[in-house]
Amino acid sequence: MSAALSVVVDATLITLVLALAAFGLAIIFGLVGVINMGHGAMLTLGAYLMWAATRMDVPFVLAALISALGVGLVGLLLEHVVIRHFYGEPLETLLLTWGFFLITTEIIKIVFGTDLREVVNPLPGSFDLGTIRFPAYRSLVALFAIVLMVAAALVFYKTRIGIRIRALMQNSEVASLLGLNIQLTYKIVFVSGSFMAGLAGALISPMLSVDPYIGNIFLVRSFFAVTVGGVGQILGGTLAGSFLVGGMETVFALVSSQVVAQTIVFAFAIVILRFRPQGVVTSR
Amino acid sequence: MAELLRAEHLTKRFKGLTANDDVGFSILAGEVRCVIGPNGAGKTTFISMISGHLQPSSGHIWFRGEDITRMSVVERARRGIARKFQTPSVFNHLTVYENVELAVLGTSRPRHRRDARVREVLELVRLSEQSDKPTAMLSHGQRQWLEVGLLIGNDAELMLLDEPTAGMTAEETHSTGELVRSLARDLRLSAIIIEHDINFIRNLEAPITVLHLGRVLAQGDYDEIASDELVRDSYLGH
Amino acid sequence: MIEAKDTGVLAGFPPRVRRVREPVVALWVFAILALLPLMSSGYVIYILPQYMLFGVLAMSLALLWGFCGMLSFGQAGFFALGAYIMGLCLQHAGTLGVNAAYLALLASAMAGAVIAGAVGYFLFSAGVRDSYFVIVTLALSIIAEQLAVGQSQVTGGWNGMFIPRMQLSFWDWRLPLDSDASIYYLIVVFVAVTYSFLRWITRAKFGKVLAGIRENEDRILSLGFKVHLYKTATFAISAGLACAAGALYGTHAAFVAPSLAGVLFSTEVVVWVAIAGRNSLLGALLGGIVVSSISNALSAITPQYWQLVLGVLFVVVVAFFRGGIAGAVHRFSARRRG
Repeated sequence: MSAALSVVVDATLITLVLALAAFGLAIIFGLVGVINMGHGAMLTLGAYLMWAATRMDVPFVLAALISALGVGLVGLLLEHVVIRHFYGEPLETLLLTWGFFLITTEIIKIVFGTDLREVVNPLPGSFDLGTIRFPAYRSLVALFAIVLMVAAALVFYKTRIGIRIRALMQNSEVASLLGLNIQLTYKIVFVSGSFMAGLAGALISPMLSVDPYIGNIFLVRSFFAVTVGGVGQILGGTLAGSFLVGGMETVFALVSSQVVAQTIVFAFAIVILRFRPQGVVTSR
Repeated sequence: MAELLRAEHLTKRFKGLTANDDVGFSILAGEVRCVIGPNGAGKTTFISMISGHLQPSSGHIWFRGEDITRMSVVERARRGIARKFQTPSVFNHLTVYENVELAVLGTSRPRHRRDARVREVLELVRLSEQSDKPTAMLSHGQRQWLEVGLLIGNDAELMLLDEPTAGMTAEETHSTGELVRSLARDLRLSAIIIEHDINFIRNLEAPITVLHLGRVLAQGDYDEIASDELVRDSYLGH
Repeated sequence: MIEAKDTGVLAGFPPRVRRVREPVVALWVFAILALLPLMSSGYVIYILPQYMLFGVLAMSLALLWGFCGMLSFGQAGFFALGAYIMGLCLQHAGTLGVNAAYLALLASAMAGAVIAGAVGYFLFSAGVRDSYFVIVTLALSIIAEQLAVGQSQVTGGWNGMFIPRMQLSFWDWRLPLDSDASIYYLIVVFVAVTYSFLRWITRAKFGKVLAGIRENEDRILSLGFKVHLYKTATFAISAGLACAAGALYGTHAAFVAPSLAGVLFSTEVVVWVAIAGRNSLLGALLGGIVVSSISNALSAITPQYWQLVLGVLFVVVVAFFRGGIAGAVHRFSARRRG
């Protein structure tokens, strides 16, 4: 019984961490239609900035904020110099963000080297609830992921900028007739997505060894989480997709190897992509 | 004359909106018919259901007696239903010749007859002299004609023309009418035309179907339609 | 007359720049490649065939990307699959009866074509978006690399697999390819045949329809073409070629490791083709040869800065020069001829 429960806990934690990692991608892909292949590099950059900041004895929370802002700034640069000229061309933005990934990864290698880096876990150990053991830090991050996504949903549905963005998604012509500044709105969305990616990278970094390709593990899984869940379904879609991708991987990894589990999950995601290209969660 | 296409009880619903409601329609081989109506009347939805770009929510479509209601765009195109889009949809980076050549490649015509066929079609749509030009260099009107050329080259039997004269000069509009009429007369090529240009429609001397709020409001020739009280109120009289 | 028209469509450039005679340039390239072993020997002759096979890999991507508009991040996966098949066949050469290398070449081409055909048909018959296809191929690449690592009893895992040198045989006559020059010639012939084959299909009806798909998929559907079959066939041909080239690469390099299947190598192929010119087969071939040899030379000296330069070059090309170097050459020579 408790073994089964601990699998559920495991799967839930993995789902939420994956949702956190995928969130930035979901925002940028879902709201401005750019498949950000640089998402992995943004996660990586967030993790390295976190490593650098914590090494300089910056308090953990402040360090995470700095990392997120740093990646947000890089996202702003990317959007302003390149991406904004290519909205509406999915294949071109895909290539350009992939180029961004190549460049960022090399710069990271040059600046930080290729050795594995460890970010000190601020909450080592675990705590017990009943018979189930929870890893402390991971649980906190999972909890934070929920809070973050709920907050984002509130912004999306309740604030003026959120209403603007939704109007823009519905119909950009009408939105521009209503006097919305499309360029600026896109920019805000892209930068928020980058910020979220940086934040996710920073928060995930203590769970793994940081290397220049750490973000790539999450790129394809995030993409599948977003598409399986439903592109544009920022909250429900990302959670459902992360649950299917992350949860299935956890369960399959129990009965076979990690590699087989991932292969099965990718194949499953491809099947969903074909039969339900709009994802499992839709607004209708 | 043989009936080419028949549609019965065609209905298309989007979420809350009913774009076409119980539309009935038929056209003979070699006949030209116009579909008119104010914006939002469901004209393009109607054409899209005929071409296969939209599936009707209910109702049936027969082409040469065959039920094509559930067929894809490709299957219908292979049977001779060809569509010209509202904004010209051609291959902008290919030459005029190559555009028509692709249309001809879509037919079962043997290799040695293709070149002659391409030239014949270019002649019909008066683009022989532009043959080697990239399509991007054509005028808007010429691109509309090229797209009609694609339909002809593809051996269409029924052309669905969505606003074929949009953006044309008065003279081009006139010759477009001539072209459609001569294709119907000489090649027995049928056409369903969506238009806003009342003069064009009158000159065409073709039967007219008026759509309003997704329903057939009236059918008949120009004079009948023009004298119809309902139509005057809801459309022509503005 | 038809002749002149074809070049315009299929090279994928606006027709006014179609006067460069690609076959003439190609003939020169292959003549120089064929004569090279007479003038030189040593490392160049040893290593060049590997770069030529990278060139074939680049052409396989150009067919898919430049001619049909579909980008694959999984080409390296197919290349590596070919190498592993060659390795397995040659290791069991004694038990196979026929020339194991022939079998391996055939099997790898088939394997690539069948896998790509199945995946392609599955996706294209539902009209999956081009941008989603890219991600699927990326996932395929990751799966391939992980399988190569995971199935270590077959592949040798991280340690890789050593592959014997193949030999040619016709009935009783045998020709070992142990010398650098002999296998060099085999591969030059393979590259020339592949190039000619690709040039032929891209200029035939098949290639014209691909150009149509790339230019305007809605229109080509409305003309009654079964687009999903064309896309599936293109992906299958592209993957089959990548696989066969990989098989030859395996026996030439004598070694294959999982990194050959990896996302990073797939990415490199995309970069070569983007820079060299995705719309030109010859451009892709030369791009594969030249950029990969420069990469290897500079990687030894300054790996990171070179990768950085490649990355920047990639972004600049994608943003400003979609035709790549080949496109620029075409435009330039067309302007000079007026």
